This record gives sequence, structure tokens and C-alpha cells, in this order.
Amino acid sequence: MKLSLDWIRDYVALPKDIDMTKLAYDLTMSTVEVEDVTYLAEQFKNIIVGQIEEVLPHPNAQKLRICRTNIGDEVKVIVCGGKNLEPGMKVAVACPGAVVRWHGEGDPVEIGIAKLRGVESYGMICASSEIGLADLFPAAEEAMIADLSAFDAVPGTNLADALDLNDCIIEIDNKSMTNRPDLWGHYGIARELSALYDLPLKPIEKYVPQENIDKFPVTIEDDEKCPRYIGVKMEGVSVKPSPFKMQSRIWRVGMRPINALVDITNYVMLATGQPTHAFDADNISGGITVRPAKQDEKLLLLNGKDLTLKTDDLVIADSEGAVALAGVMGGSKDSILPDTSKVILEVANFDSHSIRRTALRYENRTEASARYEKAVDPQRCDQALSFAMQLFAELYPELKVTGFNDLYPRPLACNEIDVDMQWLEKRLGQHLTNDELKEKLELMGFSVTFDSGNMHVVVPSWRSTGDIAIKDDIMEEVARMYGYDNFEPTPITTSFDGAINQLDVDLVRHIKEYLAFRCGMQEIFTYPWMKDTFANAILENTDEALKLSTPPAPDEKLIRCSLLPNLCEAVAKNERYFNNFSIFEEAQIFSDKDYTTPYDPSEKLPYMAKHIAGAVADSTMTVENLFRTAKGIIEYMPRMTHMEGITFRKEDKPVWADNTVWLNIFSGDTKIGDMALLSKKASLKCGIKKLSVMLFDINADLLVPFKSRTNKFEHLATYPTVEFDISLLFDTSVNWDAILKTIEGSRKADSFVKSVSFVDEYKGKQVPEGKKSLTARLTIGADDRTLKSEEIEACAMKVVKLLEKKFDAKLRT
Amino acid sequence: MDQKLQAILQDVEKKIAAAKTEVELQSVKVSALGKQGILTSLMKELPKFDPAERPAIGQAVNRVKNQLSELIENKREEIKLQAAAVPTDFDCTVPGFAPRSGGLHPITQMCYDLNDAFRSMGFEVFQEDDITSEMYAFDNLNFPPNHPARESMDTYWLEGHDSGNANEKLCLRPHLTGGSVRYMQTHKPPYRFVYPGHVYRNETTDARHERAFYQYEALIVDRDFTFTAGKVMIKSILSKVFGRDVPVRMRAGFFPFVEPGFEIDMGCLVCGGKGCSVCKQVGWIEVMPGGTPHPNVLRAAGLDPDEYTGFYVNIGLDRLVMMRYGVDDVRLFHSADLRFLQQFH
Repeated sequence: MKLSLDWIRDYVALPKDIDMTKLAYDLTMSTVEVEDVTYLAEQFKNIIVGQIEEVLPHPNAQKLRICRTNIGDEVKVIVCGGKNLEPGMKVAVACPGAVVRWHGEGDPVEIGIAKLRGVESYGMICASSEIGLADLFPAAEEAMIADLSAFDAVPGTNLADALDLNDCIIEIDNKSMTNRPDLWGHYGIARELSALYDLPLKPIEKYVPQENIDKFPVTIEDDEKCPRYIGVKMEGVSVKPSPFKMQSRIWRVGMRPINALVDITNYVMLATGQPTHAFDADNISGGITVRPAKQDEKLLLLNGKDLTLKTDDLVIADSEGAVALAGVMGGSKDSILPDTSKVILEVANFDSHSIRRTALRYENRTEASARYEKAVDPQRCDQALSFAMQLFAELYPELKVTGFNDLYPRPLACNEIDVDMQWLEKRLGQHLTNDELKEKLELMGFSVTFDSGNMHVVVPSWRSTGDIAIKDDIMEEVARMYGYDNFEPTPITTSFDGAINQLDVDLVRHIKEYLAFRCGMQEIFTYPWMKDTFANAILENTDEALKLSTPPAPDEKLIRCSLLPNLCEAVAKNERYFNNFSIFEEAQIFSDKDYTTPYDPSEKLPYMAKHIAGAVADSTMTVENLFRTAKGIIEYMPRMTHMEGITFRKEDKPVWADNTVWLNIFSGDTKIGDMALLSKKASLKCGIKKLSVMLFDINADLLVPFKSRTNKFEHLATYPTVEFDISLLFDTSVNWDAILKTIEGSRKADSFVKSVSFVDEYKGKQVPEGKKSLTARLTIGADDRTLKSEEIEACAMKVVKLLEKKFDAKLRT
Repeated sequence: MDQKLQAILQDVEKKIAAAKTEVELQSVKVSALGKQGILTSLMKELPKFDPAERPAIGQAVNRVKNQLSELIENKREEIKLQAAAVPTDFDCTVPGFAPRSGGLHPITQMCYDLNDAFRSMGFEVFQEDDITSEMYAFDNLNFPPNHPARESMDTYWLEGHDSGNANEKLCLRPHLTGGSVRYMQTHKPPYRFVYPGHVYRNETTDARHERAFYQYEALIVDRDFTFTAGKVMIKSILSKVFGRDVPVRMRAGFFPFVEPGFEIDMGCLVCGGKGCSVCKQVGWIEVMPGGTPHPNVLRAAGLDPDEYTGFYVNIGLDRLVMMRYGVDDVRLFHSADLRFLQQFH
């Protein structure tokens, strides 16, 4: 919202030399956020009023003229293409240094002395659009110069002075005043400033209609949606421009002057925050009825929108039908026309929610609806009426009020609140005397009485529509008036009753740090919804996926029931730039099943589980190595992150997995996830072209953190151990796991074989078809002596014999 | 003769010291001790001397010979130890190999920094579900029944769960505060916890607006807690995160679930409060809303608002991270673009 300082001064006597930086700061700290303070005159720097003395043809250009122009101290030659140039005319001259927009378009340009078709021009004579004044001086056609002859200003006068534009515009963040409908409008801010600075506020006299005026017929059918309606019928008005000062103020705060009748209603709204509307009385048959719209009732709005209404909408109707959408916009039927001579002025109060819904339903938010949405108090109608009637009287001396009605079926009750003084002091952390409290609150229109430890507060009407309702609100008022920054900071006390111990929280962090820093994976964030393409590529079906009512895009309706589709999308996206990378994400997945009530017994929440999923993507590594890289990440995770161990089994192939390269991940007997190569088919559907992708997906809610570190120290070997490699030929069907278990199973407590590890395996030309050569490394040693080489050899040969027997293997030599 | 020997000794010692390679050293050795060497030829002159002097001279020459042999062998060892592992023209300005690249999301990093800071002050870390009901997202938080935020243009409601009573309507959580009530319902006061997580709003996106963003909430609930203590808390946390003293101010702000509500600003760290383009010339940057939990929120959590009060802040991590690194488009955080994410290792 934009406010004019000049206008605010009409209502509160701010010091002449007020420091605007301080005013903006004080308002920001105590009330609403001031986003910007600008001086209007700054945009008219070096633009002055000039008077044309002589208009001569340009020797080299037909469309240009040479104007000898009086700019105060001297007469300058200015070249201009305007069509309406006349000797004696007063014009806006942009002198060198001024900033203008050529023909009102493009970026601002600084004016210099320039030659135009061979003739040197001292700046330029401006069209209104070139100096941002198109709304105040609308040009009838292109190439028309703004005519300032009507202004009483001698040549050389600064334009801002000539047009009385030495104003300061304060811009307030609308969001910061959502709960303060009383601040909409200049009077509201003036009232706040009068409280902040303890300055007198100009009272508004209530408008009292003359006696024996006819009652203007008004009927309210739904007084919940319309608690108050004032209708005033007037004759002796006409459509004409409003006075320049009124136009100028309307323009300064961001609206456009139209004509005196419309301008009065806008001016009143900008002054008080209370929207008003003027109907052409000739187009209203009978009286006015405020009623719910009929189902499918038609209404053509002022802006040409043709609406088909619902019974939820509130309309203003005459005897023939709806003439306006209440609180939003007038209809085209009743609008002010060039020949309007009688009007009906509406000053009404409407329910905020009803207005908001209607405005949103028809995507037709207006200045009026924006204000009604904030819950305007019905008492404000009095202010608006008073302002409006005063302006009508000023602008139309012939005015005659021929009908009046003020229906107020639901008078607003001012809130009354009791505040316990001890409670207040405890919360403020500071003692304020009764006098201090009374003074602060009464400045803002509250009335305050005290009674043995209790403060009784009556809230003013303009703060009673929801803003101030409980004692905490009163505390806030006191605190902000006192100034939040003026309270002494009090330290926080700590209690020492145990350290924070959150193993589950720590485990997730350990895993993420393990993946990032030990495994070289990059964490990513994705959205909680999935693109259909990727969901369909990865998932068996999406039957159990929850869906969004209003998705961000038509193909992003599904809420993720797996992290893998978005992960694959991320792989596909990054394939353009990288040929090997690995990424992971930690987030919840959701399913339309297994509803639980973990908190309130009436609240049912769907299945949700925290998952950690990752992708290792590479276009250069063999699939075998890629598999082992990814498997290593999972295999070592329990040890590195201090959680219960995990095992791998092949039980249930994920639908997206390659036929061979896949494993299920188990913790005890519980399946906690999968790990597999993304199948060719799924890759293709995801648009992944070159990369091989190993994916893993683990339900992190099922991981069990250790309460403390569990691994035990092992004594370093006192006597040397020897590494002894054995290579045997096996059938390709024999897997490493079986070999390992066989060797380990044969170990006795006093065995010389300390450990066994995998070295490599080979299939190919060097070995027969259907066979593989597998090399294992035995670590051999004794606890009490150094083994002799014959003993070592014998020990290894024992293992070889065992394997030969068990698997029909052959030692390679 | 002695003088002559002494001169030879000194001369050869110098040459040994000057030798840089084994080849050079070898030629010194040959010239001194070789068959044509200077000492050998000296020995050949021995018959010219008086027989009585011969033994002494011979011994002297031999002594020098041995001395030089030892020096040469020592030098040879020294040269061997100093031998370069690579050719001497090796270029030390070639870059090192990068360690494995991997990292946490910049927002996670900020989140963990804050977790560490808050934990050091005795706060627990609370985590909750992304899907919630209208009851917890709005009703418990004192949002009036017709509050605009409840509408589908602002909140992501779930299909098939988007009508009916507040406990039946489900949505992607539009903020974290509703989850705080869950914590309070299941724990005993006093409370001191932080609550990080994603929240979702149905918005039109641009460089400054996102549909999914990361919030970080901190809540203290206790008896006799004044809002000025909250300011102390904020100041401590921000100073820890930014590694220096950060000025903090609280000003009037409105949020349905707090009373009183504040906008909390921190002094602009770019200009030190003098005013710059980052802080829009005001010297302050709005970082978080905060306030005392509204009595209705405390009631929803089963607490008596006359007995308990507290302090709440909600830090927008996206914004804080953008400030930390000068990121100018909030949408990059959910882009999963490694070219972006790898910048924060």
C-alpha cells in the first residue's frame, strides 16, 4: 500500500521537518513494515515549466518545430515534434540532466544538449507519458505535449513545485498488515502515528442527513454477509474532471483518476480504507436489495466480464435483478455514464470471507475486495460517509440529497478484555505503572480502568473485528508501544537434567555423512511428487500412490511412494554433464494404505516411512565393478555408522531391476530394502542413454542404531602372519558366499587360518567352459609361535582339499 | 714435501665438495688416486728421495691417499641419498588429484550447523511426517476457519482427502508448526526442541519463490519465560552460525499462531549495517518470524496458557543459505543439478 505523507498530514499534525527515516523505522519496529520511502519531486529533477514564445518550422524536418521557449532566466531553442505547440502555451521542459522515457517507453534516459537534424536543442518539451504523468495529463493522441497553461506558475518554476508534487510516498508491505484492517487508508495510519508520537488526531464529524429526507429503500436479506448498508440518493451531480489536487493524490498512491464521481469514491476509500460505490440512479429501478445471488443468475461486470453466479455470492440488486457484485465490482448496467446526473452512493460493510471467496471464484480481485477481505469494521462506514458527503458538497454546490437510509442490523460489539496485572508483568519481564499502561493504551483508542490487580480494557471498534480479542493481544499492544527493543534482555536459564541422546536422529546423520564423505556421493533434494514418466518407468503400478488435488503440473499428480523415480530423473538430468557420479536422497515416502492414528484418535494418517536411496551411475566402469562399488557402500554402512548389521538375500526381484544383478537387503529377518542394477528397459524409459546405474533403496525407519560403540579391540598379532593365495577352478555355479562359509565353517578355535578374503575371479579363455578360476587369500599364523613354512603350506593345502572335496574344485598350478 | 702434500689434500678436498654427481666424483677420484693420478705419480718419485726419509714420506702419502678415499666414499653415499626420485625438471605446479567428490546438500549443511548450535544449548532435534491433517496444520494453530492459507491455491491437499472435517483432510505440511504441537502432546514440559524439515506451498515459482522449501523451527516452552529471553537465544544462535557477533532486532509482526508475533531481523553482514544492495539499503535483513506461542496453540498441546509460555522462531533455511553463498535462484536447491550442488563441498 502506498501512502502520501501530505495526505496523512491532513489528519495528524506531524512536525513540519519530520525525519522520514525515523518515521519509517518507528512504523517498521512497532506496527508495519515500511518497504520504501520515496520523494516524488526527485523524478522531476531538472524538469521545469517553460513558456513557448515562438514556434518556427524546422529547416530540415517537416514534423519538427523549433520552439523559442522561456525557461525563466532566458529563452532557449528547443526542437520538438509535438502537434499542439502554440505560442503562450506552458509546457514541461526537461532540461539537460533530467531523466525521461522516450515516448513513455523503455528505460529512463538522461537528457543532454543535442542536435536534432542540425539544430541544437536545449533539452526537450515533454509529452505527459515521457515524465510519468500520463494519468494526470492524458494525451488525446500521440505526439501531444502536456499543456500546463492552466497552472499558475512562472516560467522556470520546478515542475514539482508548479504541480504541488513535493510529497513523500511511503510504501508499506501489505503482508505485514493482514491483521490490521484499521490501517488501510491514510486515516488509519494517521491514527497509528498519532498514538506513536502522542500527537492530536483530527476527529471526523459524523454526517447527519437533513431532517425530513425521504427514506431510500434498502433491504438486507442476509445480514451476516452484510451487517450494514448506507444508501444515499443525490441529484445535481455530473461527470466532470475532479480538482487537480484530488486527482494528484489518487495518482500519487497508485490509482488512476477517472472523473469526479468515481474519484470521490476512490478518494474516500484511500482516505479511510472503506470502499464506497456510486450507482447511476437512473439505472436503478426501485430501491436496493442486498441478497444472495440466485443460482446461475447472470451479471455483466463493469470490466466486461460476464458472470454466472452461485448462491454463495452476494449481490446488490434492484427490482429487475443484480446490478453489482457486492464488495467486489459494479455491474455495467448501473455504472457511471457521461450523462449521469443522479447517483446512489453505497457505503456498506460486507463479510470478509464471503467477499474473498467471490473475488477469487471469478478471479476478479479489486481494490474494494482486497480491503473487505481484511475485515473492515462497520463503524468505519460513518467515517467514509462523512468524507464522501463533504466531497460531494465541495465538488457539486448544487447537490441535493433526495434519499437516505442507514441499515445496521448487526451492530459491532466492542471487545472487552480483563488482564491480570501479575500475569502481564511476568510476561513482559518488566513492571509498568498503571499510568504508563493507561497512557499507552488510551493513545490507541482503548479505554482502560483498573480494579485491584486487574486491568479492564475496552477495545475500539476498529480493532474489534478479530485483531484484539484476548489478554495476550493487549500485552502485545503494550509491548510494541513501549518498543520491543526497549526491554532489557533476560538470560535463559538452563536445567541440567541429562544430555541429549537421540540415536535415531544421529544414525540418519551418520549415514548421510558416510554416504557423502566416505562414499563420495552427493546429497540431492527433489520434490515430493513424481513425474508420470519416471513413476511409470520404475514402479510396478501407482495404485497405492497418494495424489495431489491441485498438482503443480498435470503430469505431477502422484505423491512419491518411492524415492527411485525422482532419483532416476536426477540421473537422467545429470547424464548430460557427467559420465560418472553418485547421488542420494533422504526423504519420506507415502502410500494410500496402513492408516494409523499416532496422535489424535480422530486423525488418520497414511503410511509414511523415511527412506534413503542412492544411485551410482557410470558409463565407463564394468557392470561387475559398478555392482561391487554400490554393494560396498551398503556392506560397510553398518560398521561405519554404528548400527545393527545387514545381510543380502535374493527373494523378491524389484520390478525395475536387471534380471541377474539384484539383491534384497535384510536386517535380521526383516526386508529393509533393495539394491540392483537398473534394467535396460527402465533406463530407456527414463531417458538414460549411456550410464549404467546401480540403485539402492533402504527404509531408514527400520534401521537399528547401536546404543554405543560395540566393536572390541583385537590384540595385534605377536607372531608374524602370512598371506597365502590359493586359486582353484570351480563350476561357475559355485558362489563366493558358499566358499567363504565352507572355509569359515571349518575353522576351529586354534586354527591357523586367521581370515579369508576374496581376491578375484576369472572366466574366459584360460579356463574351461563352465568353469571359473577363483583366488582367495588366506591369512595364516599362530598365536604362540612363528609357523614354519611347511606348517603354513600344510594349513593352506588343508583348505584346498576341503574345497576340492566339497565343490569338486581343482587347484590351479 | 709436506707442504706439497698439504696443498694436494686441500685442492682435492675442494673438488670433492664441489662434485655434484657420481660421474664428477669419479673423475676427481681418478685424477687424485688413479694410475695417472697425482698421488700415484708422487709415489713414483719416491726413489728420488733419501732412503732414510722414504718410509716417512711413503707413509704420509698413504695417509693422504686414505684420507681422500674416505672423503670420496662419504661423498658418494651423500650423492646417492640425494638422488632425485623424478627428473629434476619435474613441475611442482601441476595440480593435486581431487579427493573423492561427495557432499551434503547445502541446506542440510546449514541444518546440521544449526542442530549443533541448538544442541549445545540443550535442544532436542524433532522430526515429523510430511503429510498432516488440517487439524494439525491449521485448527490447532489458531488459524481461523476461513483463513486463506487453507485454500487449495495455497496448500497442497490430497485428492480424496480434501473435504470433510479437519481431522479427515490431509495435505503436504504447509509449515512445521503443526508438528510442534505433536511433539508437545507426546512429551512433558518444559520443552526445548528444534524441528527441521521440508514444507510445501502451492505457489507460482520464480527465482525467489518455491513450492518446496526447508524450514527450521525452534521452540521453548516453560514457565516464566519472557519474550526478551527469546532475543538472547536468537542472538546466540546466529552468532554461532555466522561465527561473529550478529546484531538482532525484533519488531512487530503477525502470525496466527503467535501472540505477540515478531519479525526478527539480523544486522546485514555484508555492509555491517551501513546499508547495501543486499539489505536494500536498510542495514537489516529479515531472517525469521517468531513470537510467543498463541494461547490456543498451547491449549491444543494440552497446556494451560496461564501457566506456560514460551518462544518460537521459524528460520527459512533456503533464504539463510542463499545469503551464506549469494545464491540468486531458490529453485536450484531442488534442481538435483550436480553442477550446482558440487559447489558447496
